[in-house]
Amino acid sequence: MQPLSFLLFVLLAFILQTAAFNYIAIYGIKPDLVLILVILNGFLRGPREGAFLGFAAGILQDLVSGGYFGLNALTKMTSGYLAGLGEGRLYRDNRVIAAGLTWICTLGAQLVFQFLLLLVNVSVPVPAALAYVILPTAFYNALVVLLIYGYFYRYVQKDQSNNAEFFNP
Amino acid sequence: MSRLTTGKTLFLLGVLVVLIIIGLHFSAGNTDELTPFESTTRETLSPVQRVVSVVSGKVTDFFAFPVRLYKLSEHNRQLEQQVTELQEKLAEYNEIKAENVRLKEQLSFKTSLAGQLNTVSAEVIGRAADNWFGIAIINKGSANGIQQDMAVITPAGLVGRVTNVTNHTAEVLLITDPRSGVGCLVQENRAPGIVEGVAGGSSVVNMVHIPSDLAPKKGNRVVTSGFGSVFPKGIPVGTVHKTRREESGMFKMATLKTFVDFNRLEEVLVITSSNVDPVT
Repeated sequence: MQPLSFLLFVLLAFILQTAAFNYIAIYGIKPDLVLILVILNGFLRGPREGAFLGFAAGILQDLVSGGYFGLNALTKMTSGYLAGLGEGRLYRDNRVIAAGLTWICTLGAQLVFQFLLLLVNVSVPVPAALAYVILPTAFYNALVVLLIYGYFYRYVQKDQSNNAEFFNP
Repeated sequence: MSRLTTGKTLFLLGVLVVLIIIGLHFSAGNTDELTPFESTTRETLSPVQRVVSVVSGKVTDFFAFPVRLYKLSEHNRQLEQQVTELQEKLAEYNEIKAENVRLKEQLSFKTSLAGQLNTVSAEVIGRAADNWFGIAIINKGSANGIQQDMAVITPAGLVGRVTNVTNHTAEVLLITDPRSGVGCLVQENRAPGIVEGVAGGSSVVNMVHIPSDLAPKKGNRVVTSGFGSVFPKGIPVGTVHKTRREESGMFKMATLKTFVDFNRLEEVLVITSSNVDPVT
């Protein structure tokens, strides 16, 4: 996937997440589609591209949503890098593996997010954060990946065969 | 790639991360104002968000219809039983209400909160993208008289306050957000405290700093205290679910069940002015 189309996907995911995903929220928790895109992109492209495009997606989200600038950029960069470590090591045709990786990377990203919240003087107690945000989001993201990974993988493969030159940051 | 280039890339990445962390730390207290870019983006995205929000609502309604039908028949049976019980209570209530009206007239109290509030209704067109913050974007802004720090309610109770405004949108900080703090009272025993959010996604809020000798009981109602200039007095917030001692040991804290269902927040009222006396 080329960077521009990836960022377009991120923007669409952001709009869906803010305007529509509240209807599929379970106990107030909704999946983080932007994070899922970053993780899957990292998984299929490797740590360098994963981190770079994760950073770009996070910056875009920070710019559009307002609030603390850099919070999403650093979180998404970490998750893109973490997911990229799985590239070449894990079997990428298997959706269960992709879901498991998403679970771990979401967990990592959310822990980084909580740490960064301390820098902006927002305190969420760790047990509450784990119970109400981190673990439910990780499970929900993994579930979504189980459902959409096949389509995403096929799209990326098709895109790769159409674009001989890959993006290399 | 040579080792030198990799080292240079890592160094640049390190510098970038440090710069963002420093920027993040220093921009922490400055989130109440949107930059021109953020403001323009929000104005541009708001019609798209509104369309997506409305379409999603319709699609959800369509797919949830059979389930709702089954639940409705169950609900209907329960309601029929409740109607019988409530009719008895209604007669009792009418007696008490009449007595109450007489007493209030004697004391010249203004009691109807709704009658004392000027409100602007607005639709929720967007929510926070993550599960950490409790934020709602509404489709009314400064062009409709909305200003920063106006209280936001629904007929059920308190929602939050306006934190920043563009011409046609406004951002509402929900009471479930960990950055939110609202001065409140327990209606039954008048115990003061502060209602704080825990994590934006969940509907859990805590009332903290309650004096130990005034610990509320399960089921007690919590309303805004009117201290400070943002929230008028008497807006219902929630009921006490459970109480425990704070870590410091000096105060009690209570977990509340909010009156507003924050997962199904579609329309809200922004209080543009109120005549509620904050100290009565």
